Amino acid sequence: MADIELRNVSKHFGEAEIINGVDFKAGHGEFIVFVGPSGCGKSTLLRLITGLDQVSGGQILIGGEDVTRLRPSQRGVAMVFQSYALFPHLSVAENIGFGLRLAKLPKAEIKQRVRETARILRVEDLLDRKPRQLSGGQRQRVAIGRSIIRNPKVFLFDEPLSNLDAALRVLMRLEIARLHKRLGTTMIYVTHDQTEAMTLADRIVVINRGRIEQIGSPINLYDAPANRFVAGFIGSPAMNFVELSRREGDCYLGASDQGADALLPQFTGEAAVLGVRPEHVMLADADMADLRATVEIVEKLGSETMVYLQTKAMDTPLTMRAPPESRLAPGERVSLRFERGHIHVFDHEGATISTR
Amino acid sequence: MERSTGYWRVALLALPVTVFAVFIVWPLFSSFYYSFTDWNGFNPDYDFVGFTNYAKIITDKLFLNAVINTVIWMLAAILLPTALGLALALLIDSRVPGGALFKSIFYLPICLSAVVVGQIWIWIYQPDWGLLNTVIAQVTGDHPRYAWLAKPDTALGSVIVAWSWQQTGLSMVIFLAGLTSIPGDLLEVCEIEGANVWQRTRIVVIPLLTPATVVVVALSVINSLKGFDILYIMTGGGPFHSSDTLAMHMYNESFKKYLMGYGSAISVVLFLIALTVIRIYFRELRRVDEIYG
Ligand SMILES: Nc1ncnc2c1ncn2[C@@H]1O[C@H](COP(=O)(O)OP(=O)(O)OP(=O)(O)O)[C@@H](O)[C@H]1O
Ligand SMILES: [Mg+2]
Repeated sequence: MADIELRNVSKHFGEAEIINGVDFKAGHGEFIVFVGPSGCGKSTLLRLITGLDQVSGGQILIGGEDVTRLRPSQRGVAMVFQSYALFPHLSVAENIGFGLRLAKLPKAEIKQRVRETARILRVEDLLDRKPRQLSGGQRQRVAIGRSIIRNPKVFLFDEPLSNLDAALRVLMRLEIARLHKRLGTTMIYVTHDQTEAMTLADRIVVINRGRIEQIGSPINLYDAPANRFVAGFIGSPAMNFVELSRREGDCYLGASDQGADALLPQFTGEAAVLGVRPEHVMLADADMADLRATVEIVEKLGSETMVYLQTKAMDTPLTMRAPPESRLAPGERVSLRFERGHIHVFDHEGATISTR
Repeated sequence: MERSTGYWRVALLALPVTVFAVFIVWPLFSSFYYSFTDWNGFNPDYDFVGFTNYAKIITDKLFLNAVINTVIWMLAAILLPTALGLALALLIDSRVPGGALFKSIFYLPICLSAVVVGQIWIWIYQPDWGLLNTVIAQVTGDHPRYAWLAKPDTALGSVIVAWSWQQTGLSMVIFLAGLTSIPGDLLEVCEIEGANVWQRTRIVVIPLLTPATVVVVALSVINSLKGFDILYIMTGGGPFHSSDTLAMHMYNESFKKYLMGYGSAISVVLFLIALTVIRIYFRELRRVDEIYG
């Protein structure tokens, strides 16, 4: 077990700046998830921590020790790849015991530890098979087995579940959560699936264009996003954003004639965008309404209903989360109200303006 | 429309099929046919002699000698270029300085014909002023004046060295291609798990090169079966049949002793041997396919 600290880490490939001055600390046994859009540098950051790539600047500390210049094998890290990276010519047992074999441990001990690891991951009946003869989920377990057998200080996962189908992904997610509880090892987990991020993480690190946008617990990021990017990235379906427009000194929702002043208790001239999550949009009486809209599409999901509405305030449809028994139908005109206390306001740069 | 494509198909197939029939199928069958005769190669009169030619093979000491030489030749011609090509590929891949240059240099001999390669090595082996003896003279201070190609002990080995020199470049290039097709993340696993160079090469890289090895061995087998020209140029099977292979023996019997019937019988046997080797090979290939797909 060890903590990880990145100090002003940067990385460029040639001219291209991929990671820009990342500072961040993960405590002992913490489960950290890196999320961000494709190409934002999540994998690169992970590879810098592993030592597969060298930093262009800054320092990396694992367990208080500066490992910036150490080789991957000297850092005490283990990594699980998205592609599983199993050796096709080795059996499951040989794949799991790979690190121990390299360390020249006695055969009997390797065998015993492979059995033990295989039992934890429930692949003990597959030990003689080759990777080709395994399902995706089984391969993933074997890959995890290979990395836990050495008792590494830190586990790194790079999108380990993205090659699995949806149902299996949920199962493996639970299994990884269980594994973390059992081993108590510090884990850094990269994903662009925000459900994975929300469910697994102690803390989420939201990355965008090689910078950290925000670090915090899942609920913290959900309730109090630091900026428009985080607000839009965390949460599914995504938050609705309404541009504010100013005409003759008054503030309106987009191109509509709905005044916005009532929604902005501490109105400041900097407010540019208003954000509200689908579950905080409600039907209301006309005299209480913030916005009028027309129902465009209704998605019945069983447990809830997603309603997409056309408004004058927005170019894109506004999403509303309604109860399953909702009777809204396409074409219907409705009045909407945004739940007070759950309205986010962003300035022109996209930073959150506190409304509390 | 249907019709005209049909015509074209026949027309386009006609040429290769004809070539195949005239130069492969027909000689194959005529060899088989002549192996039951005592034809001398040019006289239009010949008699059927039944299995006499095949019976002669069994008692022919030179045939046995040729079989042994063929086995030696094939084993060496497969193993040496494969091993050397692999070693060179691994070295160049490990980013030794000047790797790209060495790659071209080692590949160069493949571009030469066997006749040219043979001639180059005849000069290298030349007893009085050849490169090999000159170097030995420099090192030991004593000029051996040894005729490498004219002594039964060294003739076959010397040709094998020349042959390997030419074939190694081909194996190397195929292995280099194989190395680039090894998934990068597997090598990264080696790095993270702490494999040293030797462990990585032995446990991971060489096994993962199996598909490339299959290709290299296949080419070596095929090339060595065809490897008649370089022997013909360098030793002609001599001295005293010490470098006689089956192909060489067949040639000598057919065209030097004018025993076309007997030569044909040898060629039929050679064909059957080649067929067996290739069948075994394809069976192994399927096994490899199952693992590496
Ligand atoms: N070796 C490299 N040379 C040049 N550019 C690279 C290299 N590796 C990554 N990049 C660039 O760095 C950026 C970040 O890549 P990275 O793989 O870290 O993204 P990611 O966040 O993991 O994305 P994804 O979710 O698609 O996996 C990309 O724009 C990529 O093109
Ligand atoms: Mg990635």
